[in-house]
Amino acid sequence: MDQLIQILVDGLGRGSIYALLALGIAVIFGVMHLLNFAHGALITVSGYVAYWAFISGLSWYVIAPLVVLAAVATSLAVEQVAFRWVRGASDFTLLLTSFGVHFIVEAIFLMYVSASVKNFNRPGWISNTFSVGSASIEVFDAVVIGVTLVTLVLTAALLQRTMFGLSLRAAAEDFDTARLMGVKSDRVIRGAFALSGVLAGVAAIFWLMRAGQTTPGAGVTPMLKGVLAALIGGLGSLRGAVLGGFVLGVAEVALRSRLPDNIASLTDGVVFVLIALLFIFRPQGLISVSHAERV
Amino acid sequence: MLKGSDLIRDPARDVGFPLGAAAVQFGVLVLGGLVYTAIVGGSAERLVTAMMIDAIMVIGIQIYVGNTGVLSFGHIGFGAIAGYAFAVLAIAPQRKGTVIRNAPWGLDEVQLHPALAVGVALVVALIAAAIVGVGLARSGTKSGSVSATVITLALLFVTHEIAINWTDLTGGDRAGLSFSIGATLDSRIPVYLTLFGAIVVARLFAQSRSGRLAKAAREDNLAARAMGVNPQVQQMIALLISVAVVTLAASLRVYEIGNITPKFFFFQYTLLTLVMLIVGGRNGVTGALVGVVVITAGRELTRKLASDGYEVFGVGLDGAPADWIFREGLSDIFLGGAMLGFMVFRPNGLLDDWELDEWFRRRFGAKAEAQPGPLSEIEAPEPLQLEVADVTVQFGGFRALSGASVVADNSEIVGLIGPNGAGKTTLLNVVTGLVQPTEGSVKLGSVDLTNAASHELARNGLVRTFQNLRLFSSLTVRENVEVASRVAAAHRVKRRRPDVDSLIAEAGLWEHRNRRARELDYGNSRRLELARAAAMSPSFLLLDEPTSGMSDAESAEMIEQVRHMAATVGAGVLVIDHDLNFITGISDRIYVLDQGRMIAVGSPDSIQADPLVRAAYLGSGPED
Repeated sequence: MDQLIQILVDGLGRGSIYALLALGIAVIFGVMHLLNFAHGALITVSGYVAYWAFISGLSWYVIAPLVVLAAVATSLAVEQVAFRWVRGASDFTLLLTSFGVHFIVEAIFLMYVSASVKNFNRPGWISNTFSVGSASIEVFDAVVIGVTLVTLVLTAALLQRTMFGLSLRAAAEDFDTARLMGVKSDRVIRGAFALSGVLAGVAAIFWLMRAGQTTPGAGVTPMLKGVLAALIGGLGSLRGAVLGGFVLGVAEVALRSRLPDNIASLTDGVVFVLIALLFIFRPQGLISVSHAERV
Repeated sequence: MLKGSDLIRDPARDVGFPLGAAAVQFGVLVLGGLVYTAIVGGSAERLVTAMMIDAIMVIGIQIYVGNTGVLSFGHIGFGAIAGYAFAVLAIAPQRKGTVIRNAPWGLDEVQLHPALAVGVALVVALIAAAIVGVGLARSGTKSGSVSATVITLALLFVTHEIAINWTDLTGGDRAGLSFSIGATLDSRIPVYLTLFGAIVVARLFAQSRSGRLAKAAREDNLAARAMGVNPQVQQMIALLISVAVVTLAASLRVYEIGNITPKFFFFQYTLLTLVMLIVGGRNGVTGALVGVVVITAGRELTRKLASDGYEVFGVGLDGAPADWIFREGLSDIFLGGAMLGFMVFRPNGLLDDWELDEWFRRRFGAKAEAQPGPLSEIEAPEPLQLEVADVTVQFGGFRALSGASVVADNSEIVGLIGPNGAGKTTLLNVVTGLVQPTEGSVKLGSVDLTNAASHELARNGLVRTFQNLRLFSSLTVRENVEVASRVAAAHRVKRRRPDVDSLIAEAGLWEHRNRRARELDYGNSRRLELARAAAMSPSFLLLDEPTSGMSDAESAEMIEQVRHMAATVGAGVLVIDHDLNFITGISDRIYVLDQGRMIAVGSPDSIQADPLVRAAYLGSGPED
């Protein structure tokens, strides 16, 4: 029982970060039908901003908002420089464009910083634990889950209660019709990238706190987890993306604690195989979004 | 069963010219390599060999990506599987002892001849490909599928994870399998032979029955299924052939470098090979080869610039600006930039689907083709009845059809009219398997086809056209018709199969036969769709608003064309339209559908006189 609670909390903590990443990816998929392989670039840029802030002697309380700002700025910049030129292009083109952006960001850091690992200190409280009954819970997990829930509630409010949210949901439903109804496509797309940046920024704070380091290729893993979580949840569904993130996090932690020692290091591989099985039996993901083809 | 003449329609076009062109392409690559080596010196030899191996890899990827239109990040993952299988099997036991002492299944004791090791690697990689292929098929993969791309990306990561963590087998991240099996690749002959083979295989596949059907599904998945193509089978065939070529490339790459580590077959190499494919043009083999050369040259140049900087030009580019550009990482920027630039400005690459052999054929092989004469009509086809009984279709809370029935003989033309939203297209979708009926049945003769898959229905002779035109737009007019004719050759065996060129001539498209379908005007597109459907030797032609968007004169002409095509292949016709003049002009009998129910059936005259029909049809909404 205690072990179960521990796995659950640990998994939800991990899953929170995935959920934020996946939601950011789903928001952009909604308005542009772009599966953004460059989403990890936001984490990479944030990582270096955190590193520079850290060596300038700033504390995590200052670094955190800087990280979010950096992610938003990068997200908007990438939209301006790359994605706006391929709006409405085929899925094939969109996928490869984001793949190209991912590599260019990586190469820029390779060129102008270095390929070596840049370390920074994690906050002191990160490995503290507290007890609930006899289960010991990491403070970090509790903080991550708490902040993520607040972020998700605020995002939901933004999407449900504001004009921008309504336009974004309308655009996600049917972009062309939304445009005919007077939704400003430019504004919605830029808003979606900004929102996606905020979500990635919050995720980046926790990702970096846990990692304590960054490299030019640091964005690959968070990108992959986010993309997989979005796919598990059902591409195009915002709720599905969040759900997919939590499912992926809990599955990883549960597997890591359950698998025999000699294959525990292959957890990620096993998770991928499970995801493949999910797709064989439920190709549309957990929450299906119908994209009926008109004939 | 398929006869030889059905597998290879045109020996010169499908085999002769591709072989000749492959020899030329191969010769140019080899000669270019020799000349470059002669100029630059021995150091260039490795670069040239590496380029040849990259070319094999890129062609392997092109076979899948080009013909199916599915973007795969996973082929380098298959390369990793093959590369490790090859390395583990081909390394001498005493070398393995230092790296993988505890290899499972006693593999540390095994050493195979390199050629045999490649064979085993091939089997292992093909098994992996078959498993992934089933997953891709299950997830409904089609051209541009986003989820398919993510699945292939996941495969790349799984293989990388395994390569890093299964240290007993792979030696893990750092060691790399040191490779010494007497010698590393000491001759370029195997590389050359494989390269030539890869070019030939890729072109022959593209021209083959399977390649053409895969390309049709790439252009329009739904229309391909409606023409009896099962896209998933063709995608699987393309995947297996493509992975076989990738396996050879991966083994050669390992052999040539002399060792393998997890990062050999990961993101960086995926980017490199994809950029090569994209820049040249993913839809063609010639494009892929050009991309390999261009990107290899560009990368080599940027590398030299990065390491030697301004010295390359020998002029005074000294100082800060040059330092900021010519530094390590420049070649990565070049690759990423090439990818982005081409996606924005030229997504189909330098050459798109231009092929050398097709150019040769146009240039040297063109003989005057005589326009074929008219096709004779079949007087009395064997009687067959299409019976749609009590079909109900429920979409959530909306009932699109309630208990609608239609009976049609293959000797007659049956019209189906009704106002917008009456359920006409839904009925046609039920008959062609695009919509599953909630209740009711579809029978052709004595065969129950309710709930059959779209391509099964088409193979049984229920062949449709589409209201909003679904041609295979980048294929030529002739290729469009040929796809249907090839399916008919396999599945409509007992039927008379009209000649492709004669059908094109009958449709008035003879002079356009070598143009791409997307270049046709509206009326010609409609006529091509009809000819393509007729080439399936259907039992019933199901036409969804064949005159929409046509002028009155063109509509009148269409009536004659539909009658003649149907009689030529001995098919009955079920035609939907809301143009009352067209329907009464063409039909022997007419059904009237209103709000999902059949409200009348009868001859054109009686339908026009029926007060109920007039009220429902003319009263319930304006025509558009």
